[in-house]
Amino acid sequence: MSRWTQPAVALAAVALVVSACGGAASPAPATQAPVTAPPASGAVESPAASLDTTPVTITVWDYYGEATPIKPAIEGFQKEYPWITVKYEALDWDSMNEKFAVGVAAGAAPDVATLDMTWIPTLASNGVLEDLSTVSGGMLNGAPIAEQYNAGADEAMRYDGAYVTMLFDFDAYALYYRADLFEKKGIAVPKSWDELRAAAKTLAEDTNGDGKPDKSLYQVWPDTFHYSQFLFQNGGAILTEDLAAAAFNSQEGVSALEFNTSFIDDGSGIYWGPDQGDQMAGFKDGTLAMFQNGPYMMGVLKSGAPEMAGMWKVATAPFSKQPGSYLGGTGLGIPVAAAHKDAAWLFVSYMLRPEQQIGVYTYAGAAPATNAALDSPELTKADPYFGGEAPFGIFLDAMKTATHFPYVQSWAEIQTPTMDDAVAATLLGQGSAKDALDAAAEETNALLKK
Amino acid sequence: MTLARLRRQSIGYALIAPAMITVVVFLLIPIVLSAYWSFTDYNGVRPPTWVGLDNYTTLLTSPRFQRSIWNTIAFVVLGMGLGPPLGLATALLLNRAMRFRGVFRVAFFLPVMTSLVVVATIWKMLYNENGLINEILRLFSLPGHNWLSDPNTALPAIVVASVWQGFGFETVVFLAALGGIPRDYYDAARVDGAGRWALFRHVTLPGLRPTILFIYIIGIIGSFQVFDQIFVMTQGGPVNATRTMVFDLYDKFNSLHLGEASAVAYILFVILATLSWIQFRFFGERD
Repeated sequence: MSRWTQPAVALAAVALVVSACGGAASPAPATQAPVTAPPASGAVESPAASLDTTPVTITVWDYYGEATPIKPAIEGFQKEYPWITVKYEALDWDSMNEKFAVGVAAGAAPDVATLDMTWIPTLASNGVLEDLSTVSGGMLNGAPIAEQYNAGADEAMRYDGAYVTMLFDFDAYALYYRADLFEKKGIAVPKSWDELRAAAKTLAEDTNGDGKPDKSLYQVWPDTFHYSQFLFQNGGAILTEDLAAAAFNSQEGVSALEFNTSFIDDGSGIYWGPDQGDQMAGFKDGTLAMFQNGPYMMGVLKSGAPEMAGMWKVATAPFSKQPGSYLGGTGLGIPVAAAHKDAAWLFVSYMLRPEQQIGVYTYAGAAPATNAALDSPELTKADPYFGGEAPFGIFLDAMKTATHFPYVQSWAEIQTPTMDDAVAATLLGQGSAKDALDAAAEETNALLKK
Repeated sequence: MTLARLRRQSIGYALIAPAMITVVVFLLIPIVLSAYWSFTDYNGVRPPTWVGLDNYTTLLTSPRFQRSIWNTIAFVVLGMGLGPPLGLATALLLNRAMRFRGVFRVAFFLPVMTSLVVVATIWKMLYNENGLINEILRLFSLPGHNWLSDPNTALPAIVVASVWQGFGFETVVFLAALGGIPRDYYDAARVDGAGRWALFRHVTLPGLRPTILFIYIIGIIGSFQVFDQIFVMTQGGPVNATRTMVFDLYDKFNSLHLGEASAVAYILFVILATLSWIQFRFFGERD
């Protein structure tokens, strides 16, 4: 039902705003407001006084799931901005991926949405996302946006120079490993690719005697996220600098994919395809002893396998030539079709205040994105689940050397299925890494020319 | 007289108006619009720009889309080769006087009433490396297999799950049709000395002809639109091994290529219309 009522609500709301505030398109005064003080009546000097306080309802679509830090923050937001009512709708990741752009096209868009950073190239290049540089005036909670994020994150939030999203949490890979097994077998934490392979070989066990290791394996995902980690570490790139052609089929790219495949070839890794089911079961039954993934997995492990406290630890991802990872995460976006962009920006700004950002870590176990939150001592507290260590700093370092996926219109198709297929085909032994990447590069070049 | 007729007609039109409006708004207008979009570059946000036959030529020359067409055909052939014969065989068994007939009927029909997504999820668990199927194989000292990660077995595995879910429908339809074949025909044939096979070949099969046509038309149209199982079980992988036309459509839609997605829909429509016409023309004529 909400699907059909939304346009009507949006229409009614637009009419309300148009009739009430006419040309209140200039965002600058509004953007200064939320930082400093709540809009107290009579506070003439307060920037909040310039805010349009006509009652509005904004719709927020959130894919975060049960552990969302957004939903619990709404109460505080509404208290501070009593004229804004937030209509919160929870969607899962897949539904958001399907519904967001279509919703924008159909005029049934939310005012704010959590968006996977890997969708941003497609959404931004198709003109789905509002230019946040305009709505914000370049300021976030009283300071220039660029000063509140590190350089890599700042770059990842821009398309054609303009901000199209605000990074809410970041994703960059590090190595998760079973510290108890490492200790038992006397394995040192790997720092290089060679050491990683050696560690995987030592860890892997054949428990059913069929000659093929089936326990304590290294998780190998057939996807671009994990392949690009090796690609970047090996000094390679996905596209050429001018973004005009594929570069992943370079020598660096081929040997990165060969390295990824080597875990399958020697049996120390497990191809994590649809037959493997839920990875949590793999952690619990001991099938998996090492994997590379982002900070959100800290929360996943803690909530999904609390009985494994003390068994897992996190280390800097081993690399060949240089540290590297894909840079992703969740962004907060305002669609071009949003009915209340100014109110939506107030909401985005509120969610990016340090206290809400720390909630990303405390509620969801994920990694907040703004500098103020990253500097918080809350994030560097010793965590008994990870052997009393504080793994967050490892992800933070990984973020600093991570690279976001290229912002080209056809990125969605270049990643899936084009590059994913090349990785999977090589892992499944359907041909050499070179052939698979060359074929994918040819397809990528055709997509880029479109 | 004319006034009375007009009044009578207007009441009729008023009564069918809700259905007509629904059909026009939710069926005819989208059909016409997507036909237009299939000749445009359209992302749903910016206005469409006319590109002529570009979407169709891009699709038909794309190895990935060609693979989708072949996979879809393979799914239809395997599914239609297994499902209806299985449904007919089950119907023939259940058509005999036997105990617990009702229980079996319900048991065979139960998966049809279950959501395809639920069925696909259950089968995905069955195919799991440590799932029931591999455990049974290991019980007989046979090696387990990665059914959905092996490009050679992924599509057949999905076909098996789909046939299991769907053949109960065919069973019920065949059962109803079997009841409609006059007993006199069987009696007459027996008097003429017909054995079991001859009865089936010359009485049952001809009697089921319209039903078989119905089952195949409905089944082929449904199978060409296979999506849910693919989405849940393999996402079109591994390496396009289970990528079908509707999955391709979904992918294009998701990446905001609404023009190409519309073209996929029309290619599918042309294939289905042609196949249905052939079926009616060559197999349905005498009925």
